Amino acid sequence: MDSALPVLQPKDFKSDLKPIWCPGCGDYGVLQAVYRALSAIGRPAHEIAFVSGIGCSSRIPGYTTAYGFNTVHGRALPIAQGIKLANPELLVLCAGGDGDGFSIGGGHLPHAVRRNLDLTYIVMDNQVYGLTKGQLSPTAALGRKTVTSSYGSLERPINPLLQVLSYGAGFVAQSTPADMPGLSQILEQAIAYPGFAFVNVQSPCVTYGEEHQQMKAQRATMKTLASLSHDPSDFLQALGWATHYGEQLHTGIFYRNPKPPPSYEQQLAERRAKLAPGALPRERILEMFQTR
Amino acid sequence: MVVQTIELEKLSLKDALDLATLIEEEARDRYEELAEQMLVHHNPLAQGFFRKMAVVEEKHRSQLSRRRQQLFGDGPGRVSRAMIFDVEAPDYDEVRFGMSPREAFEAAMRSEVKAHDFFAAALPRVKNAEVKALFEELRNEEIEHQHWVQTELDRLPADSGPEIDVSDEPVAH
Ligand SMILES: Cc1ncc(C[n+]2csc(CCOP(=O)(O)OP(=O)(O)O)c2C)c(N)n1
Ligand code: SF4
Repeated sequence: MDSALPVLQPKDFKSDLKPIWCPGCGDYGVLQAVYRALSAIGRPAHEIAFVSGIGCSSRIPGYTTAYGFNTVHGRALPIAQGIKLANPELLVLCAGGDGDGFSIGGGHLPHAVRRNLDLTYIVMDNQVYGLTKGQLSPTAALGRKTVTSSYGSLERPINPLLQVLSYGAGFVAQSTPADMPGLSQILEQAIAYPGFAFVNVQSPCVTYGEEHQQMKAQRATMKTLASLSHDPSDFLQALGWATHYGEQLHTGIFYRNPKPPPSYEQQLAERRAKLAPGALPRERILEMFQTR
Repeated sequence: MVVQTIELEKLSLKDALDLATLIEEEARDRYEELAEQMLVHHNPLAQGFFRKMAVVEEKHRSQLSRRRQQLFGDGPGRVSRAMIFDVEAPDYDEVRFGMSPREAFEAAMRSEVKAHDFFAAALPRVKNAEVKALFEELRNEEIEHQHWVQTELDRLPADSGPEIDVSDEPVAH
């Protein structure tokens, strides 16, 4: 038993704003796990920026004491990257739903991954558009009936784990609020990873989700990757497990790059330092643009 | 229901009292949270019940905390909230929009059973005799709590579900 207790407790990250998610929504557990992970990381709230898009899940920054920015649908990642570049000292978290991240915001994902800024992207993947009352999302299963797919979806779902792995993310994990210790630990490790970290959280929508997607069903069927002897440093093995997305809920770290490359902001700082001696003074640069 | 990084075999009485206090604190906080959820979603009956449960858990917490203070003073402990996960606190998926008071009581009952099972499962691993006695006491108290919840449950009319207008739920803005 560790005698040194963390100075910051999970409750220190809880804001006064009361969540309005439906009772039973998976996002409550995700929020609780974020509090725990942040307390374990130990950075005070004023050193954290929490950015989200639009959706039920995107309300999450407001329920924390970190600086929050509930941005525009699908645009959480560009804004989170901008914040990190402007102030690399900040711990930057980014969050949203599967609609926000893989549908309208899907075009930003590969670029955020390959750019590799040190930030953590948490997607609360409930396979449905919750906020707008139950439309088909890009991770919804083939045949899924919703208000926008009355006879069953004809579109194959995207596989976020495979996507992010193939884009080259250094940290890729999946969890669920049905496993609170696992989720809290994964979020902590994702935040601690020095580069772009992606956590897909299977966070059920109790209102528009189906019975087999709920936490009770998850508890009965999920398998941890650790129990399957998965080695998170093995990229090819990670790809193999990721193909099971949508069929079997695997939780844990799929891939963690054992030799994390320098982040974008680190490289930028190095380049700045290298170029600084030859840099022109600001006034001189401005002069070059002056019209006579 | 999990207790992490705590070696039950090595628990001292002080650690055990801290652990038990934190378990009650976690349950109190969760009931308060659930009461807030019910308030936001216009369910005064379930809200009132969860509020009542929060008061009950706070009573248990303060009794345990007083005992710890009398025996060991206010000094820092080795156990923290970060080490426990929903031992007596109802899981988040125990609640539903528009749940009836009966369903709220049933959720509380499952949580009391969960807490009982935790102490019962921990007992064989505990080595310290004082801790063993404390855990036995707490396990038995959880049975008393179950009886209390059951008595209250039996008093409820069968059709006590609240009438709620669901036309603009859940959260669309
Ligand atoms: C540009 C734009 N298009 C559409 C919307 C409407 N809209 C709001 S949230 C949302 C999808 C929500 O689903 P998801 O991102 O999966 O989050 P959830 O609510 O399920 O957590 C949509 C389509 C919007 N707000 N802005
Ligand atoms: S609609 Fe679904 S995702 Fe949105 S708050 Fe309710 S349960 Fe959660």
